Amino acid sequence: MDFPRILSGNWDVPDSHLLSVAKSRGVYSQLPRALAMAPAEITQIVKDSGLRGRGGAGFPTGMKWSFVPPAEKRQGKSVYLLCNADESEPGTFKDRYCLWLDPHLLFEGMAIASRALDCHVGYIYLRGEFRYIARRMEAALAEAYAAGLLGKNILGSGHDFDLYLHVGAGAYICGEETALISSLEGEKGQPKLKPPFPAVEGAWRSPTIVNNVETLAVVPWLIQHGAAAYKAIGTEKSPGTKLFSVSGHVQRPGVYEIPMGIPMTQFINEYAGGLLPGRTLKAVIPGGSSVPVMTPAEVELCSMDYESISTHAGSYLGSGGFIVMDDTTDLVAALTNLLRFYAHESCGQCTPCREGCGWMHQILCRVRDGEASEVDLGTLRDLADNIHSKTICFFGASAAMPVQSFLTKFRGEFLDRVQRRGAGAA
Amino acid sequence: MPKVKINDVEIEVPAGTNMIEAAKLAGFDIPHYCYHPHLSIAGNCRMCMCEAETPRGPVLDIACNMQAREGLAIRTESDKVKAVRKSVMEFLLVNHPLDCPICDQSGECRLQDYYMDHGQYDSRGIEAKVGKHKRQDIGDLIVLDAERCVQCSRCVRFGDEVTGTGDLRLMNRGDHTEIGMFPGTRLEHDYQGNLADICPVGALTNKDFRFERRVWYLRETDSVCTGCSTSCNTKVCHQEGEVFRTLPRRNDDVNRSWMCDPGRQCNSGVGSLDRILRPTVDGVAVPDAFETLAARIKAAGAGRTGFVMGSGASLEANWALLQVVKANCPGAKVFSVAGNNAGAIAKSDGLLMDADKNPNSAGVALLAAWFGGIGGAEDLRAADLSLLVVLEDDIITRLGGNPAEAIAYFGTHNNPTAELASIVIPVAHVVEMDATYVNRQERVQRVRRATNPQGEAVPAYQALEKLGAALGRAPGTSMPTATFSAMARAVPRMNGLDYKALGASGRLLAPTVQPVAPAAPVAEAK
Amino acid sequence: MSHPAKSAASRGPREWSPEQAAEITKILARYPTKKAAVMPLLWMAQDAWDWIDLDIMRLIGRTLELPPSHVHAVASFYTMFKKAPTNKYFFQVCHTLSCALVGSDRILAHLEERLELDENGDSKDGLFSVLRVECLASCGSGPMAQVNEHFYERLTPEIIDEVIAALRSGQQLPEPRREADQWIFPVS
Repeated sequence: MDFPRILSGNWDVPDSHLLSVAKSRGVYSQLPRALAMAPAEITQIVKDSGLRGRGGAGFPTGMKWSFVPPAEKRQGKSVYLLCNADESEPGTFKDRYCLWLDPHLLFEGMAIASRALDCHVGYIYLRGEFRYIARRMEAALAEAYAAGLLGKNILGSGHDFDLYLHVGAGAYICGEETALISSLEGEKGQPKLKPPFPAVEGAWRSPTIVNNVETLAVVPWLIQHGAAAYKAIGTEKSPGTKLFSVSGHVQRPGVYEIPMGIPMTQFINEYAGGLLPGRTLKAVIPGGSSVPVMTPAEVELCSMDYESISTHAGSYLGSGGFIVMDDTTDLVAALTNLLRFYAHESCGQCTPCREGCGWMHQILCRVRDGEASEVDLGTLRDLADNIHSKTICFFGASAAMPVQSFLTKFRGEFLDRVQRRGAGAA
Repeated sequence: MPKVKINDVEIEVPAGTNMIEAAKLAGFDIPHYCYHPHLSIAGNCRMCMCEAETPRGPVLDIACNMQAREGLAIRTESDKVKAVRKSVMEFLLVNHPLDCPICDQSGECRLQDYYMDHGQYDSRGIEAKVGKHKRQDIGDLIVLDAERCVQCSRCVRFGDEVTGTGDLRLMNRGDHTEIGMFPGTRLEHDYQGNLADICPVGALTNKDFRFERRVWYLRETDSVCTGCSTSCNTKVCHQEGEVFRTLPRRNDDVNRSWMCDPGRQCNSGVGSLDRILRPTVDGVAVPDAFETLAARIKAAGAGRTGFVMGSGASLEANWALLQVVKANCPGAKVFSVAGNNAGAIAKSDGLLMDADKNPNSAGVALLAAWFGGIGGAEDLRAADLSLLVVLEDDIITRLGGNPAEAIAYFGTHNNPTAELASIVIPVAHVVEMDATYVNRQERVQRVRRATNPQGEAVPAYQALEKLGAALGRAPGTSMPTATFSAMARAVPRMNGLDYKALGASGRLLAPTVQPVAPAAPVAEAK
Repeated sequence: MSHPAKSAASRGPREWSPEQAAEITKILARYPTKKAAVMPLLWMAQDAWDWIDLDIMRLIGRTLELPPSHVHAVASFYTMFKKAPTNKYFFQVCHTLSCALVGSDRILAHLEERLELDENGDSKDGLFSVLRVECLASCGSGPMAQVNEHFYERLTPEIIDEVIAALRSGQQLPEPRREADQWIFPVS
């Protein structure tokens, strides 16, 4: 298959994080062009490209940008551009490669976006565990500043864009955009109520755009090749290439840039190298741990794009983090593992998620250890339903969907684990 | 004003009105923990979830984060809404300790109340509960039990938004989230009691009240605080003649939902040992003290008798005093000794506490201006008086000496003036009578009788009625309503005011210079 | 063997040095509010004093004009701010699903046995601390651990043994080497 490596093109180049190497690979070549464009023109290209946010929600990026109120309606408030580099969705590890191996591509994308958004200050919110990446990125930022690619009057264009790193400190929830904003503001990383939406009232109550690393890193390519070229890759509603992370029981786990829309079996069996010899597929989580699990039959039906996964499996492409589980996997233990994660990471702000995640985890531990009854499975299901869409942010649903989908799609495995003392003895 | 619909009841409310408030106006109570009308919106408890009607069908969302706008329609009693409330109750209670029998919040606990209204499920909470710190002494007035907390963050927001002290925080995260203070620190502000008031559960309780009385035994009577000229609106909580606590009562134009800690003590002396219980003449309890006082006034003569208005006494009492003088002692001098109560800490804190510790300075000023020729402290010191009749004002302490040969004192408690007085008349405490006071905003506010007067005390206006009768002309001030009507007719700035229409939140006096117009209606806070 | 990491005496007074003060000035210039600097300052303090105690929270509160309770709440929310000391080599082993599927339990059990960990996860020799942590975005190359700052992936009991031996013999923690998209311990 012939497709451009929009995001991973420089990853195999030695020292690709250095400015000289990045420049030799064409990074920053689109910045002068973009700075010469009208801001609306840049946004239009992004809109026309059909690029959807790569953080997990898949919201059309150009549309998000267009929600920022025009200057005359901002009461003099600044616009902030935040890069969500808090990659922490289990099963997802693609941004880490972008940040480590091609930081300048991200900077260029952010500088171009800043022009489109009439924004002069940006922050990259990097998860705390990536401090070793932060050190490399600080050096890369310094190089870019010294070369006039960031800061005041970029390349003599008159456009100012200051870009800073802000390092988190261990909280999954900060990947949620309003929690990220809270964290940046110096609060606990807890999501904010919507409305207001960040594009209107975000960081420091100013219009704020939060985009994923991968999303922003695509922007220079869009400027260079145009929206039509991007739309020519992938499917109609899921254009472009995407970075997919694959982990678990496959022979070649890793990050793969592929065009959207290829068959999922092809991705698992060819790119990821297939299962270990003698194993059979049991389950796949396609979009990071928060999305509903898929059965092997659903995997057969799906292709690697937003619509297909939603139509055929009732799940989501999410962040493109595939967790592949073969027939050796104890799915009860797997779900218990995930709920331990959600109980640990719930920010504790709103009631259903704060109290419910820990509760679900406790029940699952009993199911896993053979100390539960079928009644507990009913409780578990109720709790998940009572959390889903009752919370301030999407975390509640993220914890609920694995429970709902595992219990539905692999009910037999759970029933086998509960003592069938149920009706009479309970 | 936009029209909104709550359960098909259409109601017009100001744009932006919080939908919990709008629903209340339409007659529907939406249960909530974290929402408070005088704190920012947190939206964390999820108890106020309602169904908003949208073009895409009904959508569950929290009412506290919805503002009234034209056409907004919500349902607060649908099956879905009820199911959410029940599940939120279940989540809130899963880690809540079974403390109710020993928890002083019982009876006014929103976990209990809402469980009865919206919970009523069979408990499925068989897992181990998360343990937290109990019985923490965090301030002069407050005990914190973190296990009982529902993490609504009201107290956090109170510290951030009202006192600006930022002392309480929710620490940690997930189901280990725990309300607490920075280790080694204590609450340092004068508004601690409010924390116990706004805590919807038994996490923050008031040391002055806890374990004193189960709340279901208490009756509540509307009143105002007499601790300073702010006159925060209050509820006096009492049982069988005993006052157990004084709580703030919402008045968006006076004290919002708050009051200061010293103010909570304003009724603590109702049953104290230093109450004046019976009339005495020269230290001896007598049945005919009013006649004796009348005789001594006559003996002194109008020219050498003085009267002192009381800025701690009600508007009716001061009016009665002036009427007694006008009808019986024309020519007698009347004084108003303005200034701070000696001994009280005179500070205005920019919140509610005012340096003027008198609850009716504005009322005295109003009547003094109407009466005319009222003397001040210097006039009183300079006056050559044989007898001084003092209404609820400790003038000996205020003046630092005795300005007259003899004093007759109408008061509630013993004090240096009462000690020195040859005639002492007991009067009712503020919680023992119906009357009005005028606060620093010139808002006329009612107090209501919660308990019977102690001993032989009667409201001061009735005592003065008796004095007037003994002098020959009773002022007609035995009933507060009639007294108020007489004032409203006579005093231009009170024209149009009606005792009953003062309602729960009071009415402003007419402005000084402008023609008399009814006071503007009380605006609802956003 | 004596290892300084856990000794409180080496921490010195909790006051900013001139260098730190200069750095704070630079940090503050990045944000429209002082409050936003609370996490950068917590990191700075942790780098200097190894873990965050109440004195540090007070210091940061004073510096940023925040109540100490706020600094405390922020520090308590984020798991990477250490509220207690750890030993010199701090293994944070991911045990979330992807790593669990490929044997993180085996690595943890091995560390526990080799290092004779107590209930706090501190090794008997006082050199190592081990903590189970949630997903570190290294799912394709598990089992893995973050040791101090760096990620070390594709761990095996054999690698663990080599690393422990090297560190016990006084060698410094090596930077991981990237090989075939993994960051590995460059041992032997």
